[in-house]
Amino acid sequence: MADSPSFRRHPLASSVDLVRWLPSSAASPFERLLAAAIYDPSSGPAASSIRLLPLSDPTSPLASLPLPSRATALRCSPSTLAAATSSGSLHLLPSSFNSDAAAAVPGGAAFHVGPVRGLDFGGEEWVTAGEDGRVHVVGGGGDGRLVARRVWDGKGMSGYEAARWASPAEFATGGAGCGVQWWDRRKGDGVAVQCNGIWGRGIVTGMVHSIDIHSSRKHICVVGGSSGTIFAWDLRWPQQPIPLSGVGLNGTAEPVCESEVWEVHFDTYTQSSDIISSASSKILPVMMCSEDGILAVVKQDERPLELLAEACAINSFDIDPQNPSDVVCALEWESIGVLTRDRDTLVEE
Amino acid sequence: MPGMPTDGGGAIVPFRGEPGQGAPSPPPLRPIRHGVAPPIFRVYINWSSGNLLQVACLRPPNSEGCGGVEVAGSVVEVNLGSGGNGGAEVEEEIDEAEMRRIEYGSVPAFALLQSRKNALADAAAMSRMSSVPDYAEWWQYVLEYSKTIGNLLGNPDSPPAFMIEDPKTILKVREKPTSLRAAWELLEIFYVDKQLQSWLPERLVDWLADFDSLLSATESTVYSKLSNFQKKLINLQIVEDDPDYWNGLSAALSVGWLDIVVNMLRFHGSYQLDQMDNRETENGLVEAVAVLVSTMPRLRPNLPTGKLGQCCKTRPDFVKAWEKWRGQVTKLECSAFWIQCGHQKTRDGLKNLLHIMMGNIKELTASTSHWLELFASHFLYIRPFTVGFEGMHHLAQKCIQLKPSSSTTGLTGLVIGVLSENPEVVLAECTKHFGPWLVTHAMELLTADNDYADTMLHEERPNLGGISIEELHRLVYAQVLCSHSLTWQIAPTYLSSCLNQGLGLLEILLLKQPIQDNRLVLKTLEICRLYELDNISTNIMKVAGIYHWKHGRKGVGVYWFQQAHDKVRLDRIAQQLFEHIGKSVADDSFKQWEGLLELLGSDIGSAGGLEFLHRYRDFKRSLHQALDGRSGEAARQTVDFLIQLMRNPSTPQRFWLPLLHDSMELLNCKPSPLMNVAETNLLLNKLQELSLAKLRPDFSNNHLPSHALGSVRLALASNLARAILEDP
Repeated sequence: MADSPSFRRHPLASSVDLVRWLPSSAASPFERLLAAAIYDPSSGPAASSIRLLPLSDPTSPLASLPLPSRATALRCSPSTLAAATSSGSLHLLPSSFNSDAAAAVPGGAAFHVGPVRGLDFGGEEWVTAGEDGRVHVVGGGGDGRLVARRVWDGKGMSGYEAARWASPAEFATGGAGCGVQWWDRRKGDGVAVQCNGIWGRGIVTGMVHSIDIHSSRKHICVVGGSSGTIFAWDLRWPQQPIPLSGVGLNGTAEPVCESEVWEVHFDTYTQSSDIISSASSKILPVMMCSEDGILAVVKQDERPLELLAEACAINSFDIDPQNPSDVVCALEWESIGVLTRDRDTLVEE
Repeated sequence: MPGMPTDGGGAIVPFRGEPGQGAPSPPPLRPIRHGVAPPIFRVYINWSSGNLLQVACLRPPNSEGCGGVEVAGSVVEVNLGSGGNGGAEVEEEIDEAEMRRIEYGSVPAFALLQSRKNALADAAAMSRMSSVPDYAEWWQYVLEYSKTIGNLLGNPDSPPAFMIEDPKTILKVREKPTSLRAAWELLEIFYVDKQLQSWLPERLVDWLADFDSLLSATESTVYSKLSNFQKKLINLQIVEDDPDYWNGLSAALSVGWLDIVVNMLRFHGSYQLDQMDNRETENGLVEAVAVLVSTMPRLRPNLPTGKLGQCCKTRPDFVKAWEKWRGQVTKLECSAFWIQCGHQKTRDGLKNLLHIMMGNIKELTASTSHWLELFASHFLYIRPFTVGFEGMHHLAQKCIQLKPSSSTTGLTGLVIGVLSENPEVVLAECTKHFGPWLVTHAMELLTADNDYADTMLHEERPNLGGISIEELHRLVYAQVLCSHSLTWQIAPTYLSSCLNQGLGLLEILLLKQPIQDNRLVLKTLEICRLYELDNISTNIMKVAGIYHWKHGRKGVGVYWFQQAHDKVRLDRIAQQLFEHIGKSVADDSFKQWEGLLELLGSDIGSAGGLEFLHRYRDFKRSLHQALDGRSGEAARQTVDFLIQLMRNPSTPQRFWLPLLHDSMELLNCKPSPLMNVAETNLLLNKLQELSLAKLRPDFSNNHLPSHALGSVRLALASNLARAILEDP
């Protein structure tokens, strides 16, 4: 291996819960921007906010949007930045970051009660899934207002922690103990397919923290959750999830980590070592971050490639969609890290 | 309630001064905006994390006038931490976020050192012989630790990037030094760095060069002299006419800032091209002094770039160079050229510099301001071979007498404590001025190679509750970390290094963490996993389960109970759920339970009493299919489920009749019997048990038609008859 991938930490002096790359827009053609969900308990009522940070100097924010409570989900669409909070509200902000144009759906009985951890943009609408067991689809009402439509009310019987669109009509959710669900809106409201997942350490059920679906293979979800578990769920064989990593799971190499896997994303930068087979059946490489400070790329039936092993938890990360060699991650110790991968370092052996 | 307002601010707390005190000082009042209209019925006060106090104000239940609109109670958080708390001087220079950055950064270094210490102790226990080489290894580890932490505190040598330096700058613009770093470096110089021990005086000179600005805020120091002159410099036409120029030069020279002296000498007017001709001798003298200054021998292995002097690594080399250099200085001092130097101030000033270089005590005393500066000048010009703490301490006492300082900062106290070889004083100064972070981490430096400090700090003391001083300070620091919602996660590292009371406090810390947020619970559980505190994690899961259950998130509640393997509570929950399910579940309303049933997973063993629900769901589904399709396969399966349910002891009795009633249609419509004799007998027995139970007063009625029992019995009997006929 050549030089280790270069990694820089930027202390932000307040807790960073989530971090995302913003798509470069006309407003900022030269500057690459990050959005971070900040929580600073010392600043009283303005404790939670979304901040817009330039990559060149992430410690000096360009703009800030206050939130009513701690952010629990953060996503970008090409034109909008969306954040959901632990009090059940949803906030949409145009990527120009003009806070006058921000729109919000307040939390409460009419929307979500409690944290909304599942949030994703499906091309037309946003889906939100909360720990209260409700699933909503939020879209523009035509007159600039936001309209939230309830798809499902689990009445607390199940709680959702993640949501991801596969196509404009289908999305996947996951949560505490309930595994992964596939929703197909053409087949009416309600779960179309259900998978309990496979969990390590002999437990029958775990908590799903993150789901990703690759844009070119919409029938495969990759799921990260409790006890270092990462598995893929192929809708064509819904009863046979494919283990990628986990403690004590048969048929996998040693687990990449043993603690909570907070986030998973398909890694478009790392190529499968076997391109021919990857075109057919293998799961594409997946990047994950964990509570014990691991950032790694996991490949099916291969040794994981560890990119970072931090002393503190990595709570969130994002791969720059326009420049997938760059990864930004939110570190527990009040800082963000920017990792720049070199093409050479990925060619192992 | 003497003297307390009861109606004005709504405060209802009675306060009485300590008995025996003449006039108790009025208690500090904090108005709280709780927004609850009086009358307030009950107030609960509870410590939250850190300085936060949670105050809950409740109105009496069902009080008239509420109207259901007003709030019945509210919880407010009161921050008691605001305002100066007479803390360490560190807090003034380093803001909270910066301090947290240091706290985070020092965790890995501390943990690594502790694990190395344990590994060495284990190795020593294994083979009792090879403890001497281990010890040599040990201080290398401590030095590495010290350097890592030192880097965290800022690097005074690093200039800010992209600075265009003005040639007229005297003091380089650098990162502002902090007294925390100064203290750390001082301890490192004296206690850890064995390699550089013989160059200790020069290291002190370097230390002073970095941190001179911190010695006193009010009194004059060499640094303040130079920075004042710097401000003046822009407006000066003829530099050498200004007495501050020469004062600054002698001050800088006396503490060994040779590069600054040489740079300042070049400001001299005689270097200007238009004056070169008529001030030739004067310029020659200035230049000669500059050359002498820049070639001063120094007893040290190397010099950082930009610093002047010639390095001598060994004493003989140094003595040789020193004598030669002193000879040159004396020769210049006696030179005849001085008579030709027309500029009086230049002549006096340069001569003064030469006297300083010759070690003239009077000049040195005059040109330095603080006793530490005088102390350093002694090492440079009078006693370059000073070694040993005793000699240094003696010298320091003399310097303090010559230059008494009215204000003592933590740093000077620390220097005296170190020189007097008194670890207790060092510890006290650190505690008083630099806060718990420094004390906890500097403890490793103090004990690195000091047996006395080692015993003093590690001895278990009955008056401290059986813990050592080291543990006491670690516990204090851990408490500071615990009190902040962002730093509590690093406290376990320190608590786990405390053998006596650490684990107990760690358990309390973990149990006190908020459980509202699942992610935070998972973070707490991760710490439990690392320290193998299984019973604590089970407790946390149970508490989280109850919280979510009570707040209507039944699924998440059941999830946590399952994780905790809490059979008792799962059974209780099952009972509650049965109440909801009622007599017979229609398929639509059953859909609502689907999510919860999925949650229970396939391994129903872990679900406790909820196991029944799962089987019941399967039975219902199968029955539906059987009645729809009327296929023999589905009917047979339904009956299997029914038998399983009826056999299972966890099936509540009140479901027996509805179950049988539901399947009655199936029993009746089939031409051939679905159950054999034994199975039918089992059901009949259950039915009999049920009709007996019906007579008991606690029997719960199922809202089934009154003839249900009879019709089920009939169906079973006819099935039995057919089964007997079919039985071979």
